[in-house]
Amino acid sequence: MSAAPGEAVIETIGLKKTYPGKVPTPVLFGIDLRVVAGEFISIIGQSGSGKSTLLNILGALDIPTGGVVKIDGVDISTLTEDGLAVLRSEVVGFVFQAHFLLEELTCLENAVLPILIRKGEATSEELEWIRSLLVRVGLGEKLDKYPDTMSGGENQRCAIVRALANRPRIVLADEPTGNLDSHSGEEVFRLMRQMSSEVGIAFVMVTHDERLAHAADRILMIEDGLMRPVAVKPRIAA
Amino acid sequence: MTITALLPLRIRFECQLAWRHLRSGGGQTWLTIAAVASGVIIVIFIMGLIFGLQKKFTSLLTEAIPHVTVQVPEGKPIPYADIPGSKGGLSSSRSELQAPQRKNIDDWRTVLSVASEIPNVQTVSAAVSGQGFASKGANPVGVSLTGADPAEQERITPVTKNLIAGHYLGLASDEVVVDYELAQDLNVAVGDRIRITSISGVPEPLRITGIYSKGQGRGSAYVTLRTGQSMLGIGNSVNVVYVKVFDIFGADAVAERLSVLLDCEAKSWSSEFPNFVTSLQAQSASAYLISGFTLIASSFAIASVLIVSVQRKAKQIGILKSIGARSNQIMLVFLFEGLGIAVAGSVMGAIAGITVVYLLSLPKQAVGRGGGSPEAIFPLILDPLYILAAMGAASLATVLAALLPARSAAKMNPVDAMR
Ligand SMILES: Nc1ncnc2c1ncn2[C@@H]1O[C@H](COP(=O)(O)OP(=O)(O)OP(=O)(O)O)[C@@H](O)[C@H]1O
Ligand SMILES: [Mg+2]
Repeated sequence: MSAAPGEAVIETIGLKKTYPGKVPTPVLFGIDLRVVAGEFISIIGQSGSGKSTLLNILGALDIPTGGVVKIDGVDISTLTEDGLAVLRSEVVGFVFQAHFLLEELTCLENAVLPILIRKGEATSEELEWIRSLLVRVGLGEKLDKYPDTMSGGENQRCAIVRALANRPRIVLADEPTGNLDSHSGEEVFRLMRQMSSEVGIAFVMVTHDERLAHAADRILMIEDGLMRPVAVKPRIAA
Repeated sequence: MTITALLPLRIRFECQLAWRHLRSGGGQTWLTIAAVASGVIIVIFIMGLIFGLQKKFTSLLTEAIPHVTVQVPEGKPIPYADIPGSKGGLSSSRSELQAPQRKNIDDWRTVLSVASEIPNVQTVSAAVSGQGFASKGANPVGVSLTGADPAEQERITPVTKNLIAGHYLGLASDEVVVDYELAQDLNVAVGDRIRITSISGVPEPLRITGIYSKGQGRGSAYVTLRTGQSMLGIGNSVNVVYVKVFDIFGADAVAERLSVLLDCEAKSWSSEFPNFVTSLQAQSASAYLISGFTLIASSFAIASVLIVSVQRKAKQIGILKSIGARSNQIMLVFLFEGLGIAVAGSVMGAIAGITVVYLLSLPKQAVGRGGGSPEAIFPLILDPLYILAAMGAASLATVLAALLPARSAAKMNPVDAMR
């Protein structure tokens, strides 16, 4: 994973997506997107405009019906199911609107889960690193708590650490603050920005919160299945 | 997650997660374990009961008869039509079955030593046996005569414990023990003298020293080996060797072995009771059928619980895939869950089944039969072999039941699952 500056972590050329069905639903009509290492992008758009659809494809969770998607330089149409799984494991991290932590596992176990899935066990350094991240996001006291005993904001912070566990090159966050009050939302956002600049991980965040959107490096808007840039109002600092 | 460090890395996460699923499954986990366990209990009970009954009936049937009878038959009459060079074409060519003619076993001591070397053989005894007539004055009555050493014969066809009067052990050469029916026909009692004429010999005067009854007599008489030999005029030979085995169901194998080792005809008890053997086979078949259906039923129950559980976990499956889990990792998680249920269920079922069978075998009948100690009301037996087989079959059925939900979990589309 050599991240030469300016090199695209994810690149799409003419990405199209139409959901099949009795009446096929065309959602994305040709998206050209280039995400370079370490940058922070927010994506906005009307409900139903296809933001989640795009994010799922960028994260190799779904496949496009047209165009090219390259993740870490690899055209995902050339990959098998397991090849896509490897990308999701090693290159991409996901954060969703709901925290989606496993209720059977503690906060710490949830956060190391991606490492366990990848190679069966976590080394003591990895464990230490995850623990330090959890302390960083303010969960130092909650390591052995189960998700249902933690607050929404705490769970979402744990989910962010989980997304970082395998040191991905990019984190895709689909409305990560959507379920949180504005205070915890802002806290979660600030964390993501910090991680992005400190660890050098690119972030693509879908949000309805205009204030947060404008705190990104770039804002992109999906409209009518196409993507267009939006001027950033340089306002709140991270 | 500590002792799991012993698991191979390739399956460690899958095992750990399966374990967590089982633990957090609570009542539902116990329900599936109970389904497997009940299957195992039923199988162990059915097998224990059917095989126990079979053993009991068989030993009742065979305790008083030789298990294997070794003889050297005279050549059988051949139908005329089968004789090479015969003109054939006879519409009816029936061969009359003659009174059993036997060749003598001259080197019967060899037969005894060969037979006693065969595994499963408990005891062997040489005897002479033949037909004759017993008379006390007037009408002669048909009698089947056995000449053998009383102590040896006692272990083949017990006489002493069925004695009504007198004694059998310590029989002298001019003495005889007869069954109750023969004594009735001749109207004699212990101490009386009778005369027995064998088909090939001279009349022999004998004194009755014992009368026994087995419930259904056929007119039998026991004399010493020497007396029998001289009555049938066969010198120092015998014409039959009797074998008693430990495992009654191994008698066929012993008979086969004897036929091969010795140039003789060795017949197992089972060839004398073909209908009985057939009914045993039918019983065994139904025991296997019931067991099979029980396991199928319990695996359906398990499959349906697991299918529901996979559906409830759809979201989690989507998450796992989104953080890099491969399809067969997901499948393994649910298979290990099934395996855990299988192992826990079959072990608990075996323990409970053994306990049930053991407890049920405790109550004894109030009165023993024929002076023996009281017998169990339920003649159940526990055989480690079929307990292990029941556990194995139940585990296999459970894992197979888990296969379907596990595959559907693996195939789940992460995007749809998380919606
Ligand atoms: N699996 C699917 N099958 C058919 N249509 C779908 C499917 N998933 C999404 N759609 C449709 O595609 C369109 C885009 O959906 P998507 O979830 O990407 O929107 P979104 O921008 O994320 O909206 P929101 O802001 O409400 O989350 C919607 O019209 C939706 O109904
Ligand atoms: Mg969405």
